[in-house]
Amino acid sequence: MSFASPVWLLALLAVPLLIALTVVRSRQRDRFAMRFPAAATLAAAAGAEAAWKRWVASALALAAIVALLFGAARPQRTVRVALQEASIMLVTDHSGSMAATDVAPTRLAAAQGAAKTFVDNLPDGVKIGVVAFSAAPDDVRPPSTDHGESRAAIARQTANGGTATGDALAAALGLLRPKAKVSTPAAIVLLSDGATTVGSDPEAVAAEAKRLHVPIYTVALGTEDATVPNPDPSGPPLPAVPDPVTMRRVAEISGARAFSAQDADHLGAIYKTLGSQLGSKAETRDVTVVPVLGGLALLLASGGLALRRRA
Amino acid sequence: MIAERPPLHPPAARQGPGALPRPMIEALDVVLTRHTARSQPGDRRAAGVGAGTELAQLRGYQVGDDVRHLDPAASARTGEPHVRLHVPERVQTTWVLLDVSASMAFGTAQRLKSDVAEGVAQVMGQLALRRTGALGIVRFGAPGPPRITPLRAGRPAFAALRHVLAEGVAPDGNEDASALGDACSALGRLAQQPALVVIISDFRSAADPASVLGPLRARHTVLCVEVYDPRELLVPDVGILSVVDPETGRTARVDTGSRRVRERFIALEAQRRAHLHDELRRLRVGHVALGTDEEWLLKLGRSLR
Repeated sequence: MSFASPVWLLALLAVPLLIALTVVRSRQRDRFAMRFPAAATLAAAAGAEAAWKRWVASALALAAIVALLFGAARPQRTVRVALQEASIMLVTDHSGSMAATDVAPTRLAAAQGAAKTFVDNLPDGVKIGVVAFSAAPDDVRPPSTDHGESRAAIARQTANGGTATGDALAAALGLLRPKAKVSTPAAIVLLSDGATTVGSDPEAVAAEAKRLHVPIYTVALGTEDATVPNPDPSGPPLPAVPDPVTMRRVAEISGARAFSAQDADHLGAIYKTLGSQLGSKAETRDVTVVPVLGGLALLLASGGLALRRRA
Repeated sequence: MIAERPPLHPPAARQGPGALPRPMIEALDVVLTRHTARSQPGDRRAAGVGAGTELAQLRGYQVGDDVRHLDPAASARTGEPHVRLHVPERVQTTWVLLDVSASMAFGTAQRLKSDVAEGVAQVMGQLALRRTGALGIVRFGAPGPPRITPLRAGRPAFAALRHVLAEGVAPDGNEDASALGDACSALGRLAQQPALVVIISDFRSAADPASVLGPLRARHTVLCVEVYDPRELLVPDVGILSVVDPETGRTARVDTGSRRVRERFIALEAQRRAHLHDELRRLRVGHVALGTDEEWLLKLGRSLR
């Protein structure tokens, strides 16, 4: 809630003054009473009227003044309006370490569920694309309004291979900005669990993304002491350590936020937030009409009450 | 004793009783005479000083006694001259019980209630002192015991009446619910002869008229003159009104703009007066209601007829 002309709010200081004046005048009126032998009968005829009832009309009028002053200050409300033109690339990692079970049921299953939640939370007009990668980007879907295709692409992944984060990001960037001049709202959401093993440096790609106005939101998944079973049955379990530092650097360079998720629920929540943030933008709306109408209604009520007591 | 009786004073807005035209008083005389005929035997028109019919005593003749009072029967029996002495009885005794409480100093029409009361007392006094009657006044409603002006006849009675009426009413702030009862019981002890008792009051105190007037009515003829003000019966729409009772000092702040309040006030007052009238009618005492906005003398005459 913000105000377009907040100087009017200073007039609210006069309201306690009005209250004090009313009370003082009412006390003054009580100082002079008329000699009346039938005063006891008159008191009995009036009955026990609750003291607060006398003040209802004045209180309503005061509330009307306050409401109209708020209206004069022109309050404004911030709403999130759905973007119709955005394009978002989901870049998901399905390397071998995603088979670890530190995130229930496996990191990959949790990531798929979260990504599905993300897609569901986006408005229909937003274009979604998917880049699934392990040692190289495979299963690339360009941004389109057909969310079903993206969901299918996400569900198809299996966990195997290395991690080529930089290459995947470059591919996603290329799909979002086919020509240098295009500047529709766009974002990349990167979900990965491990450090880059092959391919180009993700930080360089992040700098390029910043130049093209594409924020890269990163979600680092997994706990530190997770392991995956060794394909060689006689060997020890392989470590599957996430790399949150690189992810944070990538997000900061490209001008976005970094998240880290330790479990599936957290992951789901992050994606939900991202979904609503990326798919909408903040807009201020003028809500002056609300306090003005309210003030008028209160004025009418107060006037009606005051007139009714004269009847 | 004298220190506990605060002085009475004439109310600030005193208007006076208005004109008292002689023909109307004459007409009222006739009416009143007929009204009181039932309580006292004998001819109203008897004149003369000291020649009543009630025997006071029979005693031996002393030098100086009027020889016309010699009693033949007693003198023959005893052999010595005896005289018969009679009670010097007045023909008509009137007692006026006047309410001088603070609530009487109120009026919103032509005059105050105390002005109407003063006029009625004046008229009753003049009529009482005709044909050598006697007049006594009891003032109640002021703090302290009732102030009694004993029976007088002739010119001293007129002077006493004028003096009493000029004193005025009690100051505000004193409430005495039993004032009427005290006055009636004091009068009951004092007045042995059957008399005409005129009670001039607004009858607003809480006393039940039946209990105080019953003993009085048994011996005397009682006439209740109720003085009211039209604003005590209905209250106009003047918005929020702060009122204070002159006797009890109780304040109230009332919204007279509400029709419900006005109608309820009318109902309560009508109920109170109806109860009073019923009680007075049941006791079979005479009752007249005089308002401050009408010709009270005319109404008094018409009501008594």
